[in-house]
Amino acid sequence: MIRLIRSELRKLFSTKLWLWLLLGACGLSGASTALLIGFADQAAAAPQSGVPPLGSDAFAQLALAGGANAVVFFLILGIIGMTQEYRHRTATPTFLVTPKRGKVVLSKLITYLGVSLLFAVVVNVIVVAVALPWLSAQGAPVSLSGDNLEVVLGAIGGGALYGMVGVGVGALLRNQVAAIVGALIYLFVAEPILRSVPATASAYKYLPGGTLESITATTVNTDLLLRWQGALLLTAYGMVLAIAGWVFAVRRDIS
Amino acid sequence: MSLPTTDNPESAAPARVVVTELSKRFGVVQAVDRLSFVVEPGQVTGFLGPNGAGKTTTLRMALGLITPDSGSTTYGGIAYSALPQPSLRVGAVLETAFHPGRNGRNHLRVYCAAAGLPEERADAVLAQVGMTDAGRRKTGGYSLGMRQRLGLATALLGDPQVLILDEPANGLDPEGIQWLRNFLQHLAHDQGRTILVSSHLLSEVQQTVDRIVIIAGGKLVREGTIAELADPARASVHLRSPNAASLREALVGAGAQVETLSAEELTVRGMPIAAIGHLAFTTGVELHELRTATTDLEEIYFRLTAGQEEFKATPLPEATVAEVSS
Repeated sequence: MIRLIRSELRKLFSTKLWLWLLLGACGLSGASTALLIGFADQAAAAPQSGVPPLGSDAFAQLALAGGANAVVFFLILGIIGMTQEYRHRTATPTFLVTPKRGKVVLSKLITYLGVSLLFAVVVNVIVVAVALPWLSAQGAPVSLSGDNLEVVLGAIGGGALYGMVGVGVGALLRNQVAAIVGALIYLFVAEPILRSVPATASAYKYLPGGTLESITATTVNTDLLLRWQGALLLTAYGMVLAIAGWVFAVRRDIS
Repeated sequence: MSLPTTDNPESAAPARVVVTELSKRFGVVQAVDRLSFVVEPGQVTGFLGPNGAGKTTTLRMALGLITPDSGSTTYGGIAYSALPQPSLRVGAVLETAFHPGRNGRNHLRVYCAAAGLPEERADAVLAQVGMTDAGRRKTGGYSLGMRQRLGLATALLGDPQVLILDEPANGLDPEGIQWLRNFLQHLAHDQGRTILVSSHLLSEVQQTVDRIVIIAGGKLVREGTIAELADPARASVHLRSPNAASLREALVGAGAQVETLSAEELTVRGMPIAAIGHLAFTTGVELHELRTATTDLEEIYFRLTAGQEEFKATPLPEATVAEVSS
């Protein structure tokens, strides 16, 4: 298994994809935190915006949660990590070297969990590096402890788990474009609809997007699972997707 | 050719490849139909058949990428998926596709890592296929010939005893084909490896291989050594003579099968060329031409490929011909 993880790392870092996705994740997270703090005055002048006032605990947590905006990049990273084997037809040499295809899927789950964790740390270090000095300069210093720290750790954990879930999605769908588009439509269209319909709203917290939110949420939100429950359920989603992918898609003929 | 190799204990033992009763159906098409053949060590075996004959499906089944409906393939008695370290026993090239953004050397290092081989093997096999410089470039810019070489390098990583190559000459220039021929013969004849090479072109493999397995419609058509199948003594003979009719009588009387092509031309089968020349001499018939036409092998293969409906050319309508010629 160590060999296969090393092989997956070599695959990932021998093309430029990781760099673009990491830059994108850092840029989006850093920018969302910067915009929130930079425009805090305007938000305060318009109470209907829902942004808590500068200096409150809620505002500090919202600023520190910038990294949670980047988790979708890790989902895409995991999806591409799995589906590019089919897109570029490298599944043939990969499964020739490792005929037990389940081991390949497992090694990708572990690799993308680890790489997403590492990248999520980088992203959140940037968010913290933007937020802490700037908030101090604004006269609203915050400490990276307690609930604030939990928010940052949640964004890191959520990112890592989404990388693994991406591998599961990719294993099931195999087609790269279908997997990415399908995952994004599910997260940004289907789940919000389910959440807004009263009959299904209470189920939202158990869905992949809802479990992610429970991990990355600030104290603003309420009807969600506890962080550890969300993390366990999201891990289970990744595993179930990967096992389903292995059974229904990855084991199929490579022709 | 002295090459850096791994200390590969697996590759020491010569391995026969035994294909037994393989079958695979895709929908209504019986792609491979109870196909059996053996690939012996120390020889280059050609796996020949027209396009769509089932060659690639057979090779993919043999390597565990496609699950056969029935039948099996073994390497030294073991199925591919049961080999403890398949890359050290069997190297295969089925695909000339690579991630376009990865360079050739890194492509090889990916599989070094997966197979537990030292990374130096990547450089060794690049040198072996003459790609040392190109290995630093992204595969997206490779020509088909370079892709073939990188594919071959991938197969050679584990220094395997068995090599299985699907259409390896595709896209190679004449010099590349010559190189591949010498390379494969060296691996088989001098190093005793077992080599199976598929092709849809007889001319491509005829001078490379020692044995040949011909399939069509997923079934075995003929299997044998080139020496047997392409024996000039058993080839048909083409002759031209102003006295073709009387020579024909003499030939038929001597037991040959004769086909009359024109008033002056005959094709003779079942009699060696020297015997035909002698018969013409003793019967006092003047000869203007006497040559070997096609070998047994060529005839078999032409018959197979001629029957392929999908490649039948339709004659141009006369109007079009007139326009073109005017």
